[in-house]
Amino acid sequence: MVFLILYSTLAMIDVHSFKRTMPVTDKEVALSERIEAFLAELKRGGSGAGTLRGSGETARETTALLRRITGQAQWSSAGDLMEIIRKEGRRMMATQPSETTVGNMVRRVLKIIREEYARLRGSSEVTDQQESLHQLLTSGGLSEENFGQHFKDLRANVIEAINELLTELEATTDHIAMQALEHIHSNEVIMTIGRSRTVEAFLKDAALKRKFHVIVAECAPFCQGHEMATSLSEAGIETTVIADAAIFAVMSRVNKVIIGTQTVLANGGLRAVNGTHTLALAARHHSTPLIVCAPMFKLSPQFHNEEDTFHKFVSPHEVLPFTEGEILSKVNVYCPVFDYVPPELITLFISNIGGNAPSYTYRLMSELYHPEDHEL
Amino acid sequence: MNHLVKYFRTQISQDPDVASAAAAIRSLLEFLKRDQSETLLGLRENLTEAIRRLGEADSSVAVSSGGELFLRFITLTSLEHLDFSQSKNLLVERGELFLNKISLSRNKVAKLCHTFIKDGAKILTHSSSRVVLKVLENAAADKKRFSVYVTESQPDSAGKLMAEKLRRLNIPVTVILDAAVGYIMEKVNLVIVGAEGVVESGGIINKIGTYQLAVCSKAHNKPFYVVAESFKFVRLFPLNQQDVPAQFKYKADILKTAEDLDKEHPMIDYTPPSLITLLFTDLGVLTPSAVSDELIKIYL
Repeated sequence: MVFLILYSTLAMIDVHSFKRTMPVTDKEVALSERIEAFLAELKRGGSGAGTLRGSGETARETTALLRRITGQAQWSSAGDLMEIIRKEGRRMMATQPSETTVGNMVRRVLKIIREEYARLRGSSEVTDQQESLHQLLTSGGLSEENFGQHFKDLRANVIEAINELLTELEATTDHIAMQALEHIHSNEVIMTIGRSRTVEAFLKDAALKRKFHVIVAECAPFCQGHEMATSLSEAGIETTVIADAAIFAVMSRVNKVIIGTQTVLANGGLRAVNGTHTLALAARHHSTPLIVCAPMFKLSPQFHNEEDTFHKFVSPHEVLPFTEGEILSKVNVYCPVFDYVPPELITLFISNIGGNAPSYTYRLMSELYHPEDHEL
Repeated sequence: MNHLVKYFRTQISQDPDVASAAAAIRSLLEFLKRDQSETLLGLRENLTEAIRRLGEADSSVAVSSGGELFLRFITLTSLEHLDFSQSKNLLVERGELFLNKISLSRNKVAKLCHTFIKDGAKILTHSSSRVVLKVLENAAADKKRFSVYVTESQPDSAGKLMAEKLRRLNIPVTVILDAAVGYIMEKVNLVIVGAEGVVESGGIINKIGTYQLAVCSKAHNKPFYVVAESFKFVRLFPLNQQDVPAQFKYKADILKTAEDLDKEHPMIDYTPPSLITLLFTDLGVLTPSAVSDELIKIYL
């Protein structure tokens, strides 16, 4: 009798630890496979030229993956879920540090979880948790919110909120393109650089109703400007391609500069394709307005001080091909991908929620992300 | 009342590292504990008088902002209970908590800022600031190699004190003349200064000479960083140097004895937000435009 009881308790203990250490169910195996596949794609996609994935696709896939994790992983409280998402987020960001949209989506989902938790708990505002002088003055006791309570509806609520986020992501380019007519007028000369899908949609939307001229800087060494020009002329827009060195010379004829960007930094500056800083300086010199079309998911809480993660260098054979072997041994050749553009050079940001000044970036950030998630 | 000023002075002399605003708030909390008023209005009147007395002893912006913040804190907290005697205990309790929190702010600021200092950086700073010292201490502890230029900062040569403290931390430091700021600016990578007060526009009030430093760094395109704790945010909006109230510009004894203030040397100046790159506070890294948002949040 005693032996039976002992045996059954031992068996229960065994099963528990077994469950925690190995992904037993098929769902968990499929989930970790999916995560690994995504990480591999991220790593591959970051090798510079070739078919660059648009950040929009990366954002959508990251969010879909996070939704899957929320649905299928084992968690009992909001705190556990946030820990899991943070862990996966860190892994994804470590694979490709220059792809900031991954980190941004992770932070958006974390904020969603906090909001849903606060709503279920019935606390008045999520702003209770934000740091502010007001909070310093009035809060009683160090409010260490540990998100430990269990709520049955949390999983469903979070998944629904993530679905809303996905719908928003799918519509970003359209929302930005809808604002085109307000900014582009007839017979204007617009300049752009490289290839941005957002700017392409923006210009094509305006071309339906207005006639204007576009000058595209080719953006060496990847020369994505050529593809942009082909695509724009197929839509019936008069396009001219110029070399990067000619930007300043042509700038006096330009009415507006409209560019895309890879990331919008926390101070309102940009991390954009190389050559953009030159374009911005030329525009400032001629007092030409510089408009940046960037969807909200590109807004990142980072600053440009992190030199090791800010810049990305790719193979220099685009700059100096390996056939020039003699010279290669005597010089250092670099091929950076990104440029920093300070916020003073930018006139306006057009995003899916409307137009904003660069000095307003801090406010948009506080609405999208929670300060504790800035450092994942 | 005399006890209050004496207590304040002892606080400052016992712990030279404490921020003057924090010492002011601690003294006011002591005053609150000993106060005998039975109504909120009586308490507020006594406190306003106490803050005025403190201002006479030390006329800096920091003490004024600390006092105003404390007054605001009293009002917000006592609104939660209608019975005054209950509020009194709550006030004392929350006051201690508030003091604990602000003692941690300097560390938070230092943690945020030291990542902006890169290896091999040459930093320029002005006069003596305890927050800047903490930032540099953290960066040195992080095994970063950098060197510092400090302005002498007349009339009280506070820069030499700062250099002494930095030398003790084994950081290579050079003291330069106030007039040499333009000369040295081309060698420098970044400028970090503290602040006595952060005003609503996002500008700062700091030791005289800061404005010059800011104009020079803008001309050379060097980043100008300000490190300040959030209790230094003050509800002023100066439009130019003349707009800064005279009570902050001169030391307390000069205000009492001087015949013509125009002939006295001011101790502080105002740096407009257009010259400041970023502000590091315990509420996070802010652009100057974000400061007024923070201020609005307390005075909603």
